[in-house]
Amino acid sequence: MTASVTPGGLPRRSVLKAIGAGAAVTGGAGLLAACSKGLKGTGSTGDSGTLKIGYVSPQTGPLASFAASDNFVIKQVTDALSKGITAGGKHRGVQIVVKDSQSTTTRAADVTKELILTDKVDIVLASATPDTANPVADQCEANGVPNVSTIVPWEAWFFGRGKKEGESFKYTTMFFFGMKEFTDLFTHMWGSIGATNKTVACLWPNDTDANAFRSGFPPAMGPKGYKVIDPGGYQDEISDFSSQISRFKAADAELFTCTPLPPDFQTFWKQAAQQGYRPKLATVAKVMLFPSEADSLGQLTNNIATDVWWSPSHPYKSTFDGKTAQQLADDFATQTGKQWSQALGSVYSLFEIAAKALSGASDPKDRDEVAHQLQTMKIEGMSGQLDFTAGPQPGIAIQTPVGGQWRKGKKFPWDMYLVDNTFNPDVATTGDLQPTS
Amino acid sequence: MAWVNAVVQGILLGGLYALFACGLSIVFGVMRIVNLAHGDFAVLAAFLAYSVADATGLGPFWAGVIVIPVLAAVGYLLQRVLLQRSLGVGPLATLLATFGLSVIIQNVLLQTYSADARALDIGRLASASLRISGQLSISYLALITFVLAVVVLVGLQLYLSRTRTGRMLRASSDDPEAARLVGADSRHLYGIATSIAFATVALAGVMFAMRSSFDPSIGPTRLIFAFEAVVIGGLGSLWGTLVGGMVLGLAQTVAGQFDPALTLLAGHVIFLAVLAFRPQGLIPARST
Repeated sequence: MTASVTPGGLPRRSVLKAIGAGAAVTGGAGLLAACSKGLKGTGSTGDSGTLKIGYVSPQTGPLASFAASDNFVIKQVTDALSKGITAGGKHRGVQIVVKDSQSTTTRAADVTKELILTDKVDIVLASATPDTANPVADQCEANGVPNVSTIVPWEAWFFGRGKKEGESFKYTTMFFFGMKEFTDLFTHMWGSIGATNKTVACLWPNDTDANAFRSGFPPAMGPKGYKVIDPGGYQDEISDFSSQISRFKAADAELFTCTPLPPDFQTFWKQAAQQGYRPKLATVAKVMLFPSEADSLGQLTNNIATDVWWSPSHPYKSTFDGKTAQQLADDFATQTGKQWSQALGSVYSLFEIAAKALSGASDPKDRDEVAHQLQTMKIEGMSGQLDFTAGPQPGIAIQTPVGGQWRKGKKFPWDMYLVDNTFNPDVATTGDLQPTS
Repeated sequence: MAWVNAVVQGILLGGLYALFACGLSIVFGVMRIVNLAHGDFAVLAAFLAYSVADATGLGPFWAGVIVIPVLAAVGYLLQRVLLQRSLGVGPLATLLATFGLSVIIQNVLLQTYSADARALDIGRLASASLRISGQLSISYLALITFVLAVVVLVGLQLYLSRTRTGRMLRASSDDPEAARLVGADSRHLYGIATSIAFATVALAGVMFAMRSSFDPSIGPTRLIFAFEAVVIGGLGSLWGTLVGGMVLGLAQTVAGQFDPALTLLAGHVIFLAVLAFRPQGLIPARST
């Protein structure tokens, strides 16, 4: 179940090992997934001075598109850290241990326990949605292990884990954005499209992410005159959305927003087209972030708008080697043959932050000190400026997304055009906002 | 009108569930095997159709036409080589064998195709529908799926009850020893039953891949709905499977119209109610 990377080591796929490991575990059928990346290296494994970074992401299951670029990023970071880092007055090797949350909270908690108790990592990084980031952070907080998470709305991460205004976590931190950035951006795009009414269809399932939207969006929309049509929290992975669609049609909602699971959005959007529900502007969250989703929706992808927190056009650079966002995306395309995705920049930055926190501490094995480094972290890297002291709550750094829309691409079938940079003018737009239908 | 739409969509959705459940029903009805890899074989068929369409430039329907016999052949071989052996050991062995297949298929697909979501692109048909009124539209794709489901299930039921092979199949199912005495080769017949089942699984997988999107991990969810349709309708009865699929689809959409939060719950509650109060299912096998 482990994929570990040692700087300087070459990846070696070991399917047999994975099958053996999986056979020893009981539970769901997806267990073997992505376990076959047993990597061994020649580096300084076994040296007690080696720093271990644990990384958890949903490499399989319905949220797997979030982790599609992980292998590439880990390879990049491994190369960048191959000479090790200087931490606590000593030169140390860095080892990265990768775990798969299989898109479930229980599995995420289990693999984090493994990282902490078996692999004895010095810091745990987690990516993509509260389903993975929250249980990972909970385990880290309970065991006193420093942690950074990303691609999770901060409200779902902070309030979703039982903290109240004014309280704080000691070991766990995150960078991403929250309801304010979502609502600012989406309502600005709604206002610019020239809809004849201000009725917004909201497709929010009953999960951590969507419930954060359900409590965060309506209070921000009300004062701006937007009317919320929320048919209610449905269960993920349903096969039919006709009841939601008929409500949206009955209300004549010209604007649409949502936070479903990616496969559910595919079902919904096709069915909406069949049932004749064509909103003037669809601004979606959590889905349509990645090219594979755009491809599989075919023609119906055109002009769906979403939030973009990282793209090759963002004027950001790596703290490891000065590589620009554009170069990172180009390298990804060359090495994997695939189109860039937003997760590239975020996951890359997780490792930038981890390296900086470990090297900034006078003793990188002192968890309290590393945690303090994270809480006070200020860094300007692949995800732009991140200030963990200036967020809405302690230990949270805020990114400001721009608006993007999928349109026919040149090299790949669909490209993300940046269409609304009102809230982050550092990023240049590459197109105009257009109606979805 | 919204309620009428919910009922219509429920019946159409039921067609898809019944199509999924058909193969499960046959394999259970004839061999008493619960195929836990059922949903994963449907996903496998979807990926194969995707590859065929990608490689040859054929439309997804033609890709489906190519993939269905391939899966039928896979089914025959699987029965002769793997399932027949495990049948001799006992019912638990077949469960474990199909569970193992499920794990293997998911991981092979993950290695081969990555975790990306895909769909079979059917162009304009994906959004085309028959508009009956503002609130009532019938998607052509859902209609095609429904008609296919009815044709397949009715056809197979007639095949099993009217033809010589069908009668031998049922005889082998009832008493393999006695059937062998009068000249029926039960292993070959079981192979045929599995290949028919796999052909319907492939069809269901391809139709689902056009309707929604698929990735290597969605098989088990599909299995649950298929399993519920089979149990609601009555184990081993194809008429029952058709009815079971529709009851499940209707329960979901009508409850969803009432409150979207109840969609899946309503289906599960019906399933539990049938198990508790009518465990033989709505149309049990013996009554046909």
